[in-house]
Order: sequence, then C-alpha cells, then structure tokens
Amino acid sequence: MTPSLALIGLPLVSSPLVYFAGRADRRHAAWSRIAALLSLLIAWVLFVQSATQFSMSGALDSTIGMITLRIDGISLLLTAVVLTLATFVTLYSDRYMMGEMGEEKYYALVIAMSGAMIGLACAADLFNLWVWFELMTVSSFLLVAFYCQRRLALEAGVKYLVQSAVGSVLVLLGVALIFAVTGTLRLDELALAGESLALIGAGGLFVIGFGVKIALVPMHTWLPDAHSQAPSGISTLLSGVVIEAGLIALLRVIGALAGIAESWGVLLLAFAAINMLFGNLMALRQKQVKRLLAFSSLSHIGYMLLGFGIAFYAGTPDGAAGGFFHLLTHGLMKGLAFLAAGALLYGLHLAHERHDPLTVNDLAGAGKRYPLAALSLSIAVLGLGGLPPLAGFMSKWQIFTAGFETQDLVLMLLVIFAALNSVLSLAYYAPLVNRMYRDHPSSAVQQGKPIPLSMQLTLIGLAVLVVAIGVLPSLVSWLTEPAGSTLMLALGR
Amino acid sequence: MTGTILVIGVLALIGVGLYGMMILHNVLKLVVALQILTKAAALALVAAGYMNGQLQLGQSLALTVIVADTMVAVVGLALAVQVRRHFGTLDTRALSTLKR
Amino acid sequence: MAGLLVLLTILAPWGGAAWVMLARSDQLRQFAAVLSSVIAACAALLLLAFTLTTPSVEFALGGVFGTFTFVPDGLGAFLAAVATTIGCLTVIFSLDYMRGEHQLGRYYALVLLFIGAMCGLVLSGSLLLLFIFWEMTALCSYALISFHNDDPKAVAGGIKALVITQIGGVGLLVGILAAYAQLGTLDISVLIANAGSLPADALTITAFGFLIAAAAKSAQVPFHTWLPGAMEAPTPVSALIHAATMVNAGVYLLARFYPAFAAVPGWTTAVLIIGLLSALFGALMALSTHDLKRALAYSTISQLGFMVYAIGAGGIFASQFHLLNHAVFKALLFLGAGAVIHTMGTRDMRRMGGLSRAMPFVRNVFVIGGLALAGVPFFNGFWSKELILEAGLETAVWSFVIMLFTAGLTALYTLRMIWLVFFGEAHAAFPAHDAPNAMRIALGVLAAGVLGIWLLSGAFGHLLETTLPYHEGVLHVESTADMIFALITAPATWLTLAVIGLGFALWVLRARLTALTNALTPIMRAAAADFGFEWLNRRIVTTAQSAAVLLRRTQTGQLNWNVVGIVTGLVMVLVVLMVGR
Repeated sequence: MTPSLALIGLPLVSSPLVYFAGRADRRHAAWSRIAALLSLLIAWVLFVQSATQFSMSGALDSTIGMITLRIDGISLLLTAVVLTLATFVTLYSDRYMMGEMGEEKYYALVIAMSGAMIGLACAADLFNLWVWFELMTVSSFLLVAFYCQRRLALEAGVKYLVQSAVGSVLVLLGVALIFAVTGTLRLDELALAGESLALIGAGGLFVIGFGVKIALVPMHTWLPDAHSQAPSGISTLLSGVVIEAGLIALLRVIGALAGIAESWGVLLLAFAAINMLFGNLMALRQKQVKRLLAFSSLSHIGYMLLGFGIAFYAGTPDGAAGGFFHLLTHGLMKGLAFLAAGALLYGLHLAHERHDPLTVNDLAGAGKRYPLAALSLSIAVLGLGGLPPLAGFMSKWQIFTAGFETQDLVLMLLVIFAALNSVLSLAYYAPLVNRMYRDHPSSAVQQGKPIPLSMQLTLIGLAVLVVAIGVLPSLVSWLTEPAGSTLMLALGR
Repeated sequence: MTGTILVIGVLALIGVGLYGMMILHNVLKLVVALQILTKAAALALVAAGYMNGQLQLGQSLALTVIVADTMVAVVGLALAVQVRRHFGTLDTRALSTLKR
Repeated sequence: MAGLLVLLTILAPWGGAAWVMLARSDQLRQFAAVLSSVIAACAALLLLAFTLTTPSVEFALGGVFGTFTFVPDGLGAFLAAVATTIGCLTVIFSLDYMRGEHQLGRYYALVLLFIGAMCGLVLSGSLLLLFIFWEMTALCSYALISFHNDDPKAVAGGIKALVITQIGGVGLLVGILAAYAQLGTLDISVLIANAGSLPADALTITAFGFLIAAAAKSAQVPFHTWLPGAMEAPTPVSALIHAATMVNAGVYLLARFYPAFAAVPGWTTAVLIIGLLSALFGALMALSTHDLKRALAYSTISQLGFMVYAIGAGGIFASQFHLLNHAVFKALLFLGAGAVIHTMGTRDMRRMGGLSRAMPFVRNVFVIGGLALAGVPFFNGFWSKELILEAGLETAVWSFVIMLFTAGLTALYTLRMIWLVFFGEAHAAFPAHDAPNAMRIALGVLAAGVLGIWLLSGAFGHLLETTLPYHEGVLHVESTADMIFALITAPATWLTLAVIGLGFALWVLRARLTALTNALTPIMRAAAADFGFEWLNRRIVTTAQSAAVLLRRTQTGQLNWNVVGIVTGLVMVLVVLMVGR
C-alpha cells in the first residue's frame, strides 16, 4: 500500500466512518466532525509523503486491477487545494452547521466529495475520470440541497442536478465516441491517436460537458443559484475546488487530444474572454453578497482559462503554471471570501434563525462590530480584484507575463482585456469594502450576534495565506511549477 | 448494419432527451428525460464496444454508467418529493425565484 | 547602512500601521503614528547621505517574479525624504484635525501604510516591485478618500480614483510586460541601459504605456477627473497624497525613464502636450470653482502639468525641482485650507471671507504658500517655474507662450482664492478660531520650507547628478548662485513677472473690466463643466451599468432556458470546431 494509493482511498473509506461516528451517538453529531478532521489529518500526512516521493522520483503510478491511478504535478496541486479548503471548511463548520438536521451527513459528504476530487485528479483513463467526476457531482448535489427544507435551496438543487446531469451525459457521449474510434480509454495512449473528425467532436462534447461544471458561459446558469443557496462552507468548496476540478478534468482530456487539433487553445481563449466580461458585468449590479461572489467566480475561471489557453495555443510554460497558480490562489481567496461572508451571514441572520440572504446593504458598518470578518472579506475581495500585495495579483501577473512572452498580438490584446476586466471588477468589489467601514451600522449589524472563535480562526488562517502568497509568490511554486510542466508534457511541448 | 442502427438509436435518444429537457416543466418528467439521455450514453458505450470489437468492455462500462446514473435519479426523485412537499407542485416554472 | 535605512524607511511606517491597528486607545494610536512617521522621516533624510547607484537590498523570488531590489539613488532617496517628511508633518497636523473622529485606527494605519508604500515605490529597483507599490499607493489613496464611508460622495470619489488610476496601472503593467518579454529581466537599470537595443514597437508600447500610467496617477488630461473627486478625503490626506506625494509618482516615473524613452518618436511631444493642456485646463478650472479644496486640486493638476511639460521639454532637473517646491507649498496650502475648513465647517469660498482677523497665523502661512504658487520672486515656486519656462522656451516657443499665459492665470486664481477666503466681506458670523498647536507646528515648518528650501537647489542637483548614471547630459544642473544669476538676468524671467503682475492686476481691477469678464463667461462655463471630461466619465459608467442590467435578464431562473443554454453552447462549439478544422 503506497502512500499515494492510500491518499486516494482514505477519504472514501473514512466517509462512511465519519457518518457512523455522528450516527452512533445521536446527541453528539459533533463526533463526525472530529472524525472528519482526523481523516483529513491522515490525508495530509499521506499527501506530504506522496509529495516528497514525487519530488524524488517523479510521477507515481499505482494499479488496482485494470485501473491505473497516477499522482503527478497536477494531482498534487489539486489535492493540496482540496485538502486545504476541506480542512478549513471542516474547522469552520463547527458552529455554522451545529444543530442542523443531518449534520453528520454533511461531514461525511464533504469527505466523500474531497476524496472524489483527489481521485479525479489522479485518474489516468477516461472512463475512470468520468466515474470520479460523477461521484464528486452526486455528493455535491446533496450538499447544495443540504437545506432541503427550504424552498430556495431546493430550487437551486434541482437546477444544479438537471444541468450537471446533462453535462455528465455529454462527457459520457464523448467517452463513447473516443472508445469507438480508438478502442482505448487510456489518456496517454489517446495522445498517439491520429486526427479524425470523431475525435474533434468528442473534444467538443468534453468542452461542453465539463464546461457545465466549470461554468463556462452560457452553461453557467446553475452556478449563482447553487453557490448562494448552499451552506457557506459548501459554497467555498464549490467555488474553490469543485468547478476547478471540472477544469482539471477538461485539461486532462483535451491535453491528451492536443495532438489532433489546434483549435483547443482558441476555444479556451474564447471562453476565457467571454467568461471574464460576462461574470464581471453580471456581478456589477448584484445586491446579494454570495451571488456576487458566485458571478465573480465566472470571471476568475476566465483568468485560469486565459493561462491554460496561452499554454495550449502558444506552448508557453508560464501560461500553464500561471493558470494553476491562479487556480490555487483563487481557491484560497474565494474560500476566504465565502467563509467571511458566511461568518457575517451567521452573525447577522443565521444566529437569529433567519435564512435571509446576506445583502450588500446588510454589510454597512460591519467593520466596527466584526473587525476580523470585515477585514478578511476586504482582503479577499481586493485580492480577487488583483490588488497587490495579495495572492490574486501574483497569479494574474504570471498569466499576463505568459501572454506577453508569446509576442503574439492577439494574446497581448487579450491580456490587456483581462487587465481592464480586473479594473472593472473593482467597481463591484470596492463598494463592498466601503459599506463595511461605514460609521452607521445597518439594522442587521446592530442586532448581530457574535461570530464564534472557530470561524474567526479559520478566517485568520486563510487571510494569512492570501497575504503571504501575495508577498512571496515563490512559496507555492513547488506546487504550481510541476503542475505546469505536467500539462506541458501532456501537450507534448 | 447493426452499427448504423445503434448509432441512429443513440442519436434518437439524445434528441428525445435533450428536446424533452428543453420543453418539459414537470420535475418528474425531467428526471425521465434525463434517464433517456443517460441511456443514450449507455447505448453509445455498448455500440462503441461493438464497433471496435471490445463488446464486453463496452457492456461493463454501460453497466457502471447505469449504476451511477441510478444514483442521480434517486437524488433527483428525492428532490422531487421535497419540491412537491414545499412548493405544492412539481412545475419547474414555480422554481424560478432565483434569477438575475 | 543604506540597506538598513531603506528597510527602516519602508518598514517603520508599516510597523507603525500594525501597531496603530492593534492599539486600544486613541492616544496610543496617535503616539504610535507620530513616532513611526518621525522615525521614517529621520531614516529617509539620513538616507540622502548614503545614496547608492546599486541595489542595497535584494530578495530573489525567481521565475517570472524576478528579483526584488531597492536602489536608494538620489532621485529615489529625495522623493522618499519628501514623502516621509511631509507624511510626518501631516500626521502631526492630523492630531488636531482628526481629533474626536471615529475609526482613527483605520485612518492612521492607512496613512502610515501609504507613506511606506510611497517610499517603496520610489526606491524600488525592480519593475514588478515598482508596480506593486504603485498599486498599493492607489489602494491607500482610495481607502482614504472614502474614509467617510457614510458619505456617498466620498465613496464615489474613492472608487473613481481607484478605477481611473487602475486603468493607468494597466498601461504600466502592459509597458512592463512588453519590456520584460524582450529583456527577460525586471531590473529597472537594465531597461534604461538597453532601451536602445529593444525592438522599436516594444519600446513604443512601453514608453506610451508608462505615459498613460503617469498621466492617470498625476491627474493629467484626460485622466484628471479623479482628483477633484478625491477632495472628499480628510484634508490632511489631500495634502499628503493628492498634492505632495502620490500624484508626483507619475512625474517621477517619467523622469526616471526619460533617458530610455526620449528617443521614441513622438513621445516627448506627447508628454509636452499633455503637460501643457493639463496646466492650462487646470488653471482655468481653478478659476471657475467656488470650492476651496477643489480650487487647490485643480491648481495641483495645473502645477503637475508644469512638471510634465518640463519633462517633455527636456528639463528633468527643473521638473524635479518644481516637484520638491510644489510638494512643500501645496502641502502648506492644503493644510492651511484644512485649518480654515476645520473651523468654518464648509469648503465653499463664497461663505468664507474676512477670516484675516480671526486667523492671522493661518492667513500668514497661506499667503506665503499662495505667493509661491503664483511664482512671486524669492519664494520657492518662483525659481522652479522660471526654470521650467526657460526649458520650454528652448524647446518650442509656441508652447512657452501658452505656459506664460497659464502662469498669469495661476497668479489670478491664487489671488482670487486668498481674497475670497481671508479678505473681502465676511459672509458668515460665527467664531472662527486660529489654528491649534499641532497644526501650527506642521504649518510653520512648511512655511519655513517655502521660504528657504530653494537655497538647496545646487546641492539637490549635485545629488541627482552623481547618482543617476543614465541621466548624464539631460539634467542641466547649476549651483544655486549660478541659477540665481542666470534667472535674474534672463529676459524671459522679467516677461513672466510682468505676466504674473498682470494676473494680479486683473483680479484687483475685476470690477472695471466687465467687458472682459463677460467675454470669458463661456470659457468659464466650460471650465466649470470640466471641459466635458466629466460627462465622458459618466457616460462610460452609465453604459457599463445599463449593459450589466440588460445582461442580468439572461439569468432567467427558468430551468428549461438553462438547458437551452447548454444546448446552444454545444452547437456553437461543435460548429466552431468543424469550421476551424
């Protein structure tokens, strides 16, 4: 049993245990939280072992029967982000979820979903990739519709389910098409296939199928609903890793198909441009904080796509590394934003047993009553807007550098477009910050309840990470650079 | 010949499924349309196996798909039950509070 | 030693900011702010004696992030000294001005953060680091403009400032990236040294990108609209950020990279024209407004225009000398205006008047600052303005004529401002009181600076000459005595003085010149409307917002439409792939 295999298997084994831990003693559902933390801790140990092994001997293959699982740079990066966010969310959810019906299921599903994403990152053949993807999707259905007694959560759940299911059927059709033409499903063998119309069609099916999960415009419509109605911890995971896991699945697949058509890069760049502008404009007049953050995820997916598109189109390694870097920093910043917004939501509404949405107006004066949560949310949104010295700036910088390194006029114009989009995004991030530092509190803030310590600690942890990476971007280059070179290797560049 | 029929069948199922999802308003009917769509994919896998001579592999993949898609259907139906309970209807047009 | 001082200059204010944030009482906050800003000012002044042309501090980050370096050369150390000294005086002034305000911790923390970032900006030797500090100063400026977040005007002003300077920031970013893509390094000195060997189009992108950035930061036409809006900030902040330091960053950028870009076709002309238009429009707008702080803001635009013009005309030393002088006298004017506004509770000059008797100290220092602004001999503004006009005369006579006219306008609006505030009829009868002690300290030091700092021009020039290897031949430095002699004997000086006198005379005789006033009314109306730039800004904002509102309809909330979206995407992608094959 190698550490890498254990890392993939552990969450799946421990998820039912987490459930039973909370179930065994009905009065203490919190046991499942402790069990979840324990399994995440073990996963961290295994992750460190796998990472050291990887740094010494390169990609690690482990085989069970016909299935091959491979830990390479991309899997390590996604695993790191998944484990970081899952750990923070589990710590954070202590009070947020306390007393909710089915608390033990929540933790069990979080662990299962994390496990599915780690598996997805390691899958080495197409069908296996789809299975992990489907497992992740199903566990996220249950988490999005976690408040199944509430109409809005149900509505979001139904939409998410139907759209995701359509997406995953399209992926499956792509798999079938590839299987029919090449007779193989292994990603590395796929790269050797010759050019054919069917394979290009399959690639298109993957772009759209995974695109639903990645929230490419116009397949994005589930995202704002699901992000805003899920419990805040789940919004964090959805925005921070689930949609990115879809992106990584897409990169794996079209990376393997890169040899047969040049158009993937163009397609990614086109979606990048559309997503950036659309997400920003949709967020511009948004009044609900969590919906606003959800739309900003659209535009950040655009930045990642820009990086990856540059790598696909021009073969610039910095584009791939920058894309992965942005994936990581976006996970941290958006995670921080959702957790901080969730903490405020908890203090202003949930602690009063109200399930109103957190609006921009509610935030007025939060800076005085909740200094830490307000500061965290400010750091998060300003970082998302790309202001230095916060993490978001550094990852955007790497992507932009890649664009100019190509010396290609279209790519340079796209970079300028992306930079102007960052400016546009400040037009909705900045007012949020302004609201929080008003003198006169909103009525919600006046009646607000205190935010529990466990939430505050997670906010501090994530905020420190966001600032630290912003000051020292080289802190995480051991994750982003190998991920970038793994992608470049798959592209055959 | 068999291959052509299979392909036509897959395409027909996809068409019916997608069309249904675009026009139906009932959550239960949507789940049924989703099932038709998924069965198109399962059939496609079997057809793919048939065409490249790995029918057994294709069939086992299709079986896995059916298992996985049952999970989706179960969750979907569970949501449908809750929708009926809380909205008093299964019409998705009632589920349009979240917009803009 | 230099490395230690550099770090102290940047980190002392930042440490102070952290201390202020964590401090429990307002008194402790004030103490922490004053102490750390004084330490920073001492370190920066000491740094002037330890200037280097090579990096004194280095952090290697690797990859596309390069190496972060700090180079305390003459130009950087001088601007750091200006920023910290005026920063320190501003903090002292704020003790009185901000007394009793809410959220003092946030105020002082942001001011200190800004002082550190400004020093980092001018001392950095890496383009990426320069950009980081550039954006940090914009961030602090935004946060301080909208310090009074309850006031929608303050919020709008802050966001406007942020967005416009960020658009300029995009220019800087693009310029840096274009240079980096060619050079493979982010070292500023490498860029300046090898500018000639870069491909022409890359160098052009860099040069004009930097120009856009500088124009946005220094509030030059057509990006100047944010500065008047920034006047919603507490007045000490306006003095520090929007008069004495941050707005100079653009001029600094142009001066720093002048040797690299001077050969780019059209670049110096563009700089010259931008400076010229800003100087002229700024002066006209200053003449048309009734808001004391806005008048000062427009005058800042105009004076920054003089500096940018000087760079376009090749007078690098003149521009930096005027930057120093302007920083001192404009900080004095703003702080003096702050003292007036603090006691009057309004910024409308029409409701002031006759304050001369109630506030003699403030009147005295304000008049000193005003005379320097108008360019009256033996105040500091006179010398540098003359140097700028000389440089202009040597380069393009037509531009000299316009600048001469602007100098006359400057005298006119300065006298108008002083008259409306301190002389004329008193319009409001309430107990105005003279400035309290902390304000007096800050105002007194600055007034002394206005009277004496120009004597250092020779030493300052020498400092620049010895530590800027790439600027050899473009500085034209003279010793103080030579400068005095040269200026006094130059006919242009006397011409300028005559025009300035004419400007004063126009105000004094305004009652008898109704024909002239009437003829000027349309121009004044256009100036009051900001020459249409304000309208353009609003247009862009409303377009973006209505596009956003329209687009939001696409989120129908109907499940069937959502599925239609997926199918549309599928069809589009398949078509694109088939076509693009």
